[in-house]
Amino acid sequence: MSDETGKKPDSRLDSTAPMNETSVEPPEISAAPPVKNQRAAQLFDESVAADGKLRPHYAKFFGSLEQIGAGELERRWENGRRLVQEQGITYNVYGDTRGMERTWELDAVPFLIAAEEWRTLEAGLIQRAELINRILADCYGPQHLIRTGGLPPALIFGQPDFLRPCHGIQPKRGKFLIFYAADLARSPDGRWWVTSDRTQIPTGTGYALANRLVTSRTLPEAFRDCQVHRLAGFYREVQKTLAQLAPLNTENPRVVMLTPGPYNETYFEQAYLARYLGYQLVEGQDLTVRDDKVFLKTLAGLEAVDVILRRVDDEFCDPLELRNDSILGVPGLVGAARDGNVTIANLPGSSLLQSPAFMAFLPGLCRHVLGEKLKLPSVATWWCGQKSAENYVLEHLDELFVKPAFRQRQPGPALERNLSAAARAALVARIKFQPHGFVAQEWVELSTAPALDGGKLVPRPVSLRVYLVATENGYAVMPGGLSRVAPRAGASFVSMQHGGMSKDTWVLSDQPVPEVSLLSATGPNIELRRVGNNLPSRLADNFFWLGRYAERADATTRLLRSALRRFTPERGGGSLPHLAPLLETLEKQGQLKGHQSQKQSQPGQSQSMSRQNPEALEAGLLAAIFDPQRDGSVRQLVGHLQRIAMFVRDRTSNDLWRAANQLGDLLANAPKEKILLAADALGILNQTLLGLASFHGLARENMTRAQGWRFIDIGMRIERALSLCTFLDCSLRSPEADNPSVLEAVLEVADSTLTYRSRYNLLPNIAAVYDLVLLDDTNPRSLFFQINQLAQHFERLPREMESVTPQQKILRDCSSRLRTLDTRELAVRAGNWSGGETGKLVAETLRDLPRLSDAIAVSYFAHSEISRTGGGCQP
Amino acid sequence: MKFEIIHRTIYLYASPVRDSFNEARLQPFSNATQTVDSFFLKVLPAARLRHHHDFYSNTIHHFEIVEPHSTLLVESHLRVTTRLPALPAKTDSPWPLARIGEVLQEPRIFDFLQDSHYVELSPEVWRLAMDATVGVNDTWQAALAILKFIHENFIYESKSTSVHTHMRDVLQEKRGVCQDFAHVMIGLCRALKIPALYVSGYLATEIASATHAWVEVLIPGTGWIALDPTHNRPVDDTYVKIAVGRDYADVPPVAGNYKGTTERKLEVKVDIKRLE
Repeated sequence: MSDETGKKPDSRLDSTAPMNETSVEPPEISAAPPVKNQRAAQLFDESVAADGKLRPHYAKFFGSLEQIGAGELERRWENGRRLVQEQGITYNVYGDTRGMERTWELDAVPFLIAAEEWRTLEAGLIQRAELINRILADCYGPQHLIRTGGLPPALIFGQPDFLRPCHGIQPKRGKFLIFYAADLARSPDGRWWVTSDRTQIPTGTGYALANRLVTSRTLPEAFRDCQVHRLAGFYREVQKTLAQLAPLNTENPRVVMLTPGPYNETYFEQAYLARYLGYQLVEGQDLTVRDDKVFLKTLAGLEAVDVILRRVDDEFCDPLELRNDSILGVPGLVGAARDGNVTIANLPGSSLLQSPAFMAFLPGLCRHVLGEKLKLPSVATWWCGQKSAENYVLEHLDELFVKPAFRQRQPGPALERNLSAAARAALVARIKFQPHGFVAQEWVELSTAPALDGGKLVPRPVSLRVYLVATENGYAVMPGGLSRVAPRAGASFVSMQHGGMSKDTWVLSDQPVPEVSLLSATGPNIELRRVGNNLPSRLADNFFWLGRYAERADATTRLLRSALRRFTPERGGGSLPHLAPLLETLEKQGQLKGHQSQKQSQPGQSQSMSRQNPEALEAGLLAAIFDPQRDGSVRQLVGHLQRIAMFVRDRTSNDLWRAANQLGDLLANAPKEKILLAADALGILNQTLLGLASFHGLARENMTRAQGWRFIDIGMRIERALSLCTFLDCSLRSPEADNPSVLEAVLEVADSTLTYRSRYNLLPNIAAVYDLVLLDDTNPRSLFFQINQLAQHFERLPREMESVTPQQKILRDCSSRLRTLDTRELAVRAGNWSGGETGKLVAETLRDLPRLSDAIAVSYFAHSEISRTGGGCQP
Repeated sequence: MKFEIIHRTIYLYASPVRDSFNEARLQPFSNATQTVDSFFLKVLPAARLRHHHDFYSNTIHHFEIVEPHSTLLVESHLRVTTRLPALPAKTDSPWPLARIGEVLQEPRIFDFLQDSHYVELSPEVWRLAMDATVGVNDTWQAALAILKFIHENFIYESKSTSVHTHMRDVLQEKRGVCQDFAHVMIGLCRALKIPALYVSGYLATEIASATHAWVEVLIPGTGWIALDPTHNRPVDDTYVKIAVGRDYADVPPVAGNYKGTTERKLEVKVDIKRLE
């Protein structure tokens, strides 16, 4: 904003006039001399003063940087970037075709704020938060401010964000605004202005935390020398506040974080923050309302929820009373809040105050409500709902940024700076038809801060988001925040959706900074919990499939490896009997395309085209590994694994997530030109198996033996039994099932070669091999072992008293069949191996396992579609 | 007049559904034109009923049925006494339409002057409202002119629209049911800055013993006056008012959601018996 426009108070309404409220004479700004790059003369430079000297708070920082040296800084920043990657810091970009997740872009150089300046900002922000809380409380309560004329009715009732069902709700201690954030920009005259108020779900605190982690590790000396305020104290306030606001159970309240799910743009930070604060991350379907109280659906039953930290938008919180097409919310949630049984931070409906139109009224409201002058001004704003403001806006259309005053039900045409004559006329007509729907603001000329670009420090436009949380006596400000820099000079706003970068924000102290740890915040009265029984059903489902996909990838990789080892292009594939069962299994599972006309081919007889032609077979085997489009290819299975690992990310270690991603990279980045031959792929398969082994190891050893682990293991066991039986079925149908080389393949796929050698020390014998892979309960790869493990898991899972669950019945059947089998019957058969007892058992197990999987889903993963009632017919 | 009204809503699901959360707006309020003598709401499978008042002071009952069920019954029993409402007398000094803005001091009236879920105040609607009131200067006369205009230009045709039909589609098709007539009337009145709200209720005549919908407009000096655009007349003591809102979206008799199949049948039956 320029100085001239700042001196036009008379053109504004009584209620507006934000700029002359805190009338400070702007300092004389001369052209700042270039430091490392040419600077736009009229912008405020955060690091260099008007006289060309470094501002004192940056001087110390740059001194520290100089000691490190440019080369070292580059090297460290490379490490820092790797840390960002490894932490999996991402931001989902809507409509991005390059894949949903984009790595968070972080600039190496933090944004610095001097101690003195911060004190002023802090005071202004606290006052603003208190004011907004009071306005919200009034709008959703007595509405005095509307009646006495301070607020025009259209500003409240004209907004789609005024949620009528939430009117009358009285949150504990009158805290409507528990979290608040303000976007700040510094104008050329050096003053800070609020450019937007975030009153609903102030996002970014998680990113601020992640940025701090990376930047403080990259620049530890500077971080120490500059005496930077720590962030942990703020999060401790968050924990304290949310615990105190629990309506009923104040002793040991359960706080959960309600997320819209992994596809939300800020899911990373939700998971990150939930873990940091020690809250369970739940989705709407994990919660339910009974008798106006909120509960978490866990495997062990319903557990009361006291406080919900929400990341689901206002209207989507409750499909019963708010948007009835929402699948993200919890039916009855508003009713629970109305009854005072749950605290929601922030209360649905709080986005009302996010409308920029309010900015025009804040100075007047501040005087009226708090009896004070507004300390921190907003960017100059005209709300066209008032006649004089409308006239002003229409007269100065070209100098102002016109935008919708309220959130749009349907997004209208984009409003831009340089309008064509036709667009201008259309805009004028729209404003005149519905003036209260429009607001105009001055363009913000952002100040610039140094950013690292190609090894050089260059000035980049910067904006700052600062966070507040309600406390017992008012509000606490996070000493730091999320700074964002535009990708190029001259930008008027910065958005991470549009390719901006973020910066750590260092608020400097004039005294040494004490260390704060979050762990001490839990206090002395912590209730020790040994076994978590509170796994939400949805997560149990995800863990189950995590186990299944991991094992399916493992089994498929083994099958392919065995097939490739036996494959030699010279001799062709199909002519070798010992290759046939392997290929058939792969065809059956869909990884290999079988004979076109013989979809239901008879096993043992099918000699598909691809199998007769060595080149085609080789290509098919490679596709079964690398082709992401091929159903069941290793690449695709690992993709599923990565996706599900993302869903459970807040419940697993970062290493597990990293292991999944490394596997994905391994398969995706395999150099295509080098893998033309089947033999080349063997190396990749071996690496894949190692990767999967480490994934399994992490899942097993680094997760407590709680229900999450149990469901991974259940999924794994079922899948292992399933793939083993599928392969044994094909092998038994082979006319040469007793051929030692076929049996060797069986041992190989079942990873039992060594065990067999240690027991028998002779060529594979059909009875002995099948005994080992089916019945030997000491062989962790045998069918019997899987069934026993599954039975043990179900013993320990919660179930209805006294009854035997369907899955236990299925397992008992499987188990009793195995106990009565004697594989020696195979040895005395000559051909038709699949017709005997062993073949029958394998076939029956193959039939039962999917039933088992379904029964588990019914018992534990209660999902189904949500439908709407309603539609009473009228004549 | 005294009426006994039984209003039954039954959902029949193709397969059992569960976690059903619902709201019922079925309990009328007592005011100058009607007194609720008794009201009783029955829900099967049995559920604990709770109630609260919404932003427009309607009574909303809510209940949840968690266990699987194939049928949901919501049935209200109502006894009500109605009285003839007062209409603006001929002698009342007319209030010029041009000065209507002066009476809109009560903040909440804003809700009945703007766009809502099924009502849109486009320039076309404003044009239409001007056409309907050519030569009329008085607010009450303007409301009556709009009433007449709708009666003359729109065709009543049952089942021609659904409960989710928007007013702009009704303007296009020029046909609809009582809900659509009410939405059009609301839109035209609001375009002229005459506050207009939606009323759901019962009409106790033999031709339509079912739920009905009409409109109330705010006439300066008199207050809210109920008009029935479907029948082109002011509301009398054969009408029972259940709930009011900006449009139908604020007052569905039964609404909610559940988990399970979308395959279902809905039966609604209203029995109205005149007691005296």
